[in-house]
Amino acid sequence: MAHESPFHQRQTPGQLTRREFLWQSGGGLGGLALAAMLGQDQVRAEDGPSPGQLHHPAKARRVVQFFMAGAASHLDLFDYKPELIKRHGQPSDFGEPVEAFQDGLGPWLRPLWDFKPYGQSGKMLSDIVAPLGAVVDDLAFVHNMVGKSGVHSAATLLQTTGFQLPGFPGAGCWAGYGLGSMNDNLPTFVVLPDHRGFASNGVKNWDAAFLPSQHSGTIIRPGAEVPIADLFPHPSGKFITPASEAAAQQLMAGMNRAHAATREGDQRLDARIRSYELAARMQLAAPEALDLKAEPDHVLKLYGLDRGPQAWPKEINPEEEAYHFSSKCLTARRLLERGVRFVQVWSGNDNSFPRRNWDSHEDVQRDHGPLAHGMACGIAAFIKDLKQRGLFDDTLILWTTEFGRMPSSQGGKGRDHNPYVFTNWLGGGGIKGGVTHGESDHWGYKPLERAHPTLVHDIHATLLHQLGLDHTRLTFRHNGVDRRLTDVHGHVIHPLLA
Amino acid sequence: MKSLRQISMATAAWIAVLQGMLPMAGAASPFEDTVRPILEKNCCSCHGPEKQKSGYRLDVKSIALTGGEGHAPNIIPGNAAASPLMKFITGADKDLIMPPKGQPLSPAEIETVRAWIEDGAPWPDSASVPVNDPLDWWSLKPITKPAPPTLPLAAHPIDAFIQAKLAENGLAPSPEADARTLGRRLYFDLTGLPPSPEEIGAFAADSSPEAYARLVDRLLASPRYGERWSRHWLDVVHYGDTHGYDKDKIRPNAWPYRDYVIRALNADKPYARFVQEQIAGDILFPDSPDGIEALGFISAGPWDFIGHAEVPETKTDGKIARHLDRDDMVANAMGTFASQTVHCAQCHHHKFDPIPQEDYYSLQAVFSALDRTERKYYRDGAVHARYQNLLRQQKQDVEALAALDASLRTKAGGALAALESDDKTVSIPAHGYHSAMAATEGDVKWVQVDLGQPVRIGRVSLLPCHDDFNGIGAGFGFPLRFRIEASDDPEFLAGVQLLPQHHGLTFNADFKNPGLTRFDTDGGKEEAGITGRYVRVTAVKLAPRQGDFIFALAELQVFDRAGKNAAQGRPVMALDSIEAPPRWQKTNLTDGLAPADPAALQREREALLLAVADEATKAQRMALVASTASLAAELKSLPAPDSVYAGGIHQGTDAFKGTGASGGQPRPVFLLARGQVTHPGREVRAGALSALTFAPARFPLPPDAPEGARRAALAHWLTDPRNPLVWRSIVNRVWQYHFGHGLVATPGDFGRNGALPSHPALLDWLAAGFRDGGGSLKTLHRQIVTSATYRQAAMGNAAAEKIDSGNTLLWRQNRRKLEAEAVRDAVLAVSGKLDLTMGGPGWQDFVIERPEHSPHYQYGLADPGDPKAWRRSIYRCIVRSQTQPWMTSLDCADPSMRVDQRNESLSPLQALALLNNGFILTQAQHFAERVQQERPDLPGQVSRAHELAFGRPPDATALAPLVDFAKANGLPAMCRVLFNLNEFTFTD
Repeated sequence: MAHESPFHQRQTPGQLTRREFLWQSGGGLGGLALAAMLGQDQVRAEDGPSPGQLHHPAKARRVVQFFMAGAASHLDLFDYKPELIKRHGQPSDFGEPVEAFQDGLGPWLRPLWDFKPYGQSGKMLSDIVAPLGAVVDDLAFVHNMVGKSGVHSAATLLQTTGFQLPGFPGAGCWAGYGLGSMNDNLPTFVVLPDHRGFASNGVKNWDAAFLPSQHSGTIIRPGAEVPIADLFPHPSGKFITPASEAAAQQLMAGMNRAHAATREGDQRLDARIRSYELAARMQLAAPEALDLKAEPDHVLKLYGLDRGPQAWPKEINPEEEAYHFSSKCLTARRLLERGVRFVQVWSGNDNSFPRRNWDSHEDVQRDHGPLAHGMACGIAAFIKDLKQRGLFDDTLILWTTEFGRMPSSQGGKGRDHNPYVFTNWLGGGGIKGGVTHGESDHWGYKPLERAHPTLVHDIHATLLHQLGLDHTRLTFRHNGVDRRLTDVHGHVIHPLLA
Repeated sequence: MKSLRQISMATAAWIAVLQGMLPMAGAASPFEDTVRPILEKNCCSCHGPEKQKSGYRLDVKSIALTGGEGHAPNIIPGNAAASPLMKFITGADKDLIMPPKGQPLSPAEIETVRAWIEDGAPWPDSASVPVNDPLDWWSLKPITKPAPPTLPLAAHPIDAFIQAKLAENGLAPSPEADARTLGRRLYFDLTGLPPSPEEIGAFAADSSPEAYARLVDRLLASPRYGERWSRHWLDVVHYGDTHGYDKDKIRPNAWPYRDYVIRALNADKPYARFVQEQIAGDILFPDSPDGIEALGFISAGPWDFIGHAEVPETKTDGKIARHLDRDDMVANAMGTFASQTVHCAQCHHHKFDPIPQEDYYSLQAVFSALDRTERKYYRDGAVHARYQNLLRQQKQDVEALAALDASLRTKAGGALAALESDDKTVSIPAHGYHSAMAATEGDVKWVQVDLGQPVRIGRVSLLPCHDDFNGIGAGFGFPLRFRIEASDDPEFLAGVQLLPQHHGLTFNADFKNPGLTRFDTDGGKEEAGITGRYVRVTAVKLAPRQGDFIFALAELQVFDRAGKNAAQGRPVMALDSIEAPPRWQKTNLTDGLAPADPAALQREREALLLAVADEATKAQRMALVASTASLAAELKSLPAPDSVYAGGIHQGTDAFKGTGASGGQPRPVFLLARGQVTHPGREVRAGALSALTFAPARFPLPPDAPEGARRAALAHWLTDPRNPLVWRSIVNRVWQYHFGHGLVATPGDFGRNGALPSHPALLDWLAAGFRDGGGSLKTLHRQIVTSATYRQAAMGNAAAEKIDSGNTLLWRQNRRKLEAEAVRDAVLAVSGKLDLTMGGPGWQDFVIERPEHSPHYQYGLADPGDPKAWRRSIYRCIVRSQTQPWMTSLDCADPSMRVDQRNESLSPLQALALLNNGFILTQAQHFAERVQQERPDLPGQVSRAHELAFGRPPDATALAPLVDFAKANGLPAMCRVLFNLNEFTFTD
């Protein structure tokens, strides 16, 4: 196999060209930004094609991925199945033996909420996600997604990294690796975890694995005491003052330059000096980017954030979910606007009790109700906001989850895992609005056309395609394999493209 | 022999992917005139020089006639009807029509191909595309022992090899680094710690020619050496102290493996033994604790808790989890020891290297009996040897007893068979009734049965549940205190009669958990008059589960005076119930299903056996039983054993059974089409790589050989002196850590996708010497670091950079960026706070929240001032799902994947981590306090700090600004600056 990809790199720091070095060591701020700062904005011709050069013209410049941890039910939110309403309560019969994760094969269970048509497309949406009705004509639904495993951890990794086992870079890492940064004071890939904690696999869903570590997702916790790790001195460093900080930067720069002056030809020494300058810039830029109070009232109102945090009940409740999720959506918009390329927003944390994620084995209404309400309020506001700012057209939105849930009931009110079919939807970034590509069968149990399901690799291929990247050519050699986000699979879903 | 032939055919098939040349010109045979044009037109775009779908191509004779993956051979000369190729092109198989798109072959074309196959598929060799010999690859060839080039100035053989190459390329070596630079380099390289100012000063002042060699010896003898180099090893084997994935729980006993590696390196254990212990130590060296602890290698990587503990291997998801688990073991073993990427042959033959899919699954078969589990042993070698000896005797007794019973069993006949076939296993799917969870143990819960009519009660029996949840098992949910009552009122408001007989035992005191032994009220006189339609069990002190409390029962039986169970199949009511069928639901309480009491079953079984035995057999049996009992007593008298998390036979229940129940018999391993567990092909035997011919590719073991024999065979295969991969792999790894890059730049991949050796002769010279000299790593280190090549300065040279910018040829030493651990340990060393305590459970710099389910590892909540985290980084508790953020920003190895070579990055987040993390700020203050104690005045303190941090006093131009800064901003702020300077992070 030839390695003509401009992104193909070996891992041996000793043997890098200057260009490769800049690219790999360039910091979270991206190779091109750093190259520019080092006075190398024009890459020398003999170095060949420039990294960051697109494979084809891009339709999207940035991505936001919404991830519903625990597995959100397609049946209760987006994938309308009148047959289930008709057959509600009857013994389920799938016409074939079914393996369910917890053997939850009780009677058919109708959607927990009613569905109504929205928009010109007349797309049927569940009442619980009604706020999305206002933007439904901008969305493209894929109802025939299939997974490979009904185990949360493996399924989550598959959706985030394209592989079922840990040790592979997240989609956002690949985007940053392929395209570099669009800013010089914020990370390229930001993760906004659920405020209660991480989902299955923790940071493995977004870390760079074998890609250079600066491509890892940077965790930002809006509203938390320390929103970005180590952005400012730990409280134990009381001896640091603004004056000492400025003096320290100056002293370090001087001493480091003197050190480098006697060690010519080692670009790492210069790059490290610059990384401290960039860090100082991030210290200024990040708090500004995260300051939601700077938003005008009408925007806060759009997101339902005009009333600020309150004392919430102990039980999971729709108001609190809407507040937290909308805060993350607004933070995401501010970050995207400031040149962050990829933002991943999580709803729900791990599979502990009481449920604070979408893994509704016991009671769909109890968990999905508040979570879906919060998600729908936040995303609807986010899309309207992007549109009013002209950001929607070149921002790709992907809504995804681990897998779906069974059309049969579990314990009367819950649903078991359904890796056999589930829903994704996309919008913006050159995606055709108001369409549905791929249907599930009349139960929502498996794809209608079983031989032609949609795989996460197809979604990933499409995502990279919209960013101007060919998923088969965005590679990195690791342990003897030229690894791709899409493994050896994936086809761009052309019917979804505008 | 059949299997050997299959292997060679499979080997031939992978050739498919290697680029061939264009076909020879000039048609001269019927094949070339008629058949080949058809194949070229219709088939070769997917099965030819460009693409080789399914590893198959129709332009290479050998592959066309033998290959075809699951359908191979696709062409059977002389038998067109049986040839899969005909089936595909005629469309006989609707699911597999070739070509899959575009025009099908015309009837005339099909007839031409058919006639050709019928005719014996004659194919002149000249009409086949020649392909490269896949075995013609440097790493697969035997290791040679080349003589070093004779160079007058190079006394050291390594220098002779290196300098010859330099000269060939018009380069010259750099001069030797100065003593302070060299000393500092050596300290970090061999021990991962900086020298103290006194140590480096003494070395710099020692002008004797032996000074350097003495320092090397001293550092190699230091326990710090094993701590440093074990970290390199643990990177490669992806060691961690938690499982990873979802529910990322701590492995409390993973650390003995880490300590084993440190000890093995410090003791300079011969490499062959080191390898053998990690693959099959329990088999090859059972009496040594090392033989058990080393098996932590097999379990080092991540493990999917839910995929194993919550999904049985009868389900597809469970099969996938176990398949991926073995995949990790195989990739770890072959990547670590042999630098091979066999994991690429999981779905198809390796695309670049001569590794057929069958090799990969043969390696899975080596590990197929194993799971990641706790293994008992004794860290004390003498006790361990005694323990192993007792286990061996016990095994003999058990086998003798089994043989004896086998003869009795036939005599015992039907009754015993009935007893044993009775499906009363512990893990019945219908567990029983389970109350809702309660927050306190004092909550009251009840469950009752409606007998349909008033029944005069003989006795009431409660049968306990079995559920492995939270490791509880037998007696799950059995209440600590309860009462049993009867009434004709379903509400139990009127006419309530207490069954008093054991009330004192179960209500007034805590009732000891009965395990699986049934609880009976025994129907004594006191209860003789009690009658009622409803019988209710009320738990007043619940059973602990996991931070919560419950009441669960497998079965409630109410026997009437005639001894009939009147509750059988009757409706059940409860205050509350978790309805999660089939495991938990109210109706399970009267379904007649409950786990049997194993002790009672055993007693019945013994009685039946002894009834048919003659006197001599009885005596023999009694002697064996007595011997077993005395061995058991002796084993019991041993102190509580230690435990290590390692590869082993798992004795489990419920979903995670392991192979313990089958006595550790290997699971059958099948060749999986496209790597899918739902598509098993033929079963494969245990083996290794067929591309290496020094030993048979499949281990010559009898089919009933115990699983350990497979691992022992792999251990011997790996460490065979004729194995060309293993010896080259390790010397290359060691070289890499000394120079920053290996002689082969891809230490984990010696295949065609990897790099070629820059100095093949040197690599072989090192490998052969290492192998033949007893596999001493310390000798190898000494050899390397005493070379002039190693001792060169690390300074740039514009002219040399033009020729070899990457310094592949080593015209200088490489400046090294310290790894995360070295930075951290160096900070502690210079601050004076480094705690050199060795071994034991890993220190934790996080607070665990919600440990009962999915632990949250909260690094932010840990106190950076807590001295327990001031030990060396090698002893850190390594979490997979939430990697230590500070270490991760410094490119620490990711414990979820094998790291042959660390990434090296520079980012603003790294700068922020070194500037602002609580660890750095706390240590900056300790550093300041230290120098304040050691020197009286500020300039002295600054100078001392500089010397501690960099191994040299500051020159005058550096001292003044540092002192000024310290004056204005305090000494801790100055110390923080030192930690952040480039000179702290890079060693020359």
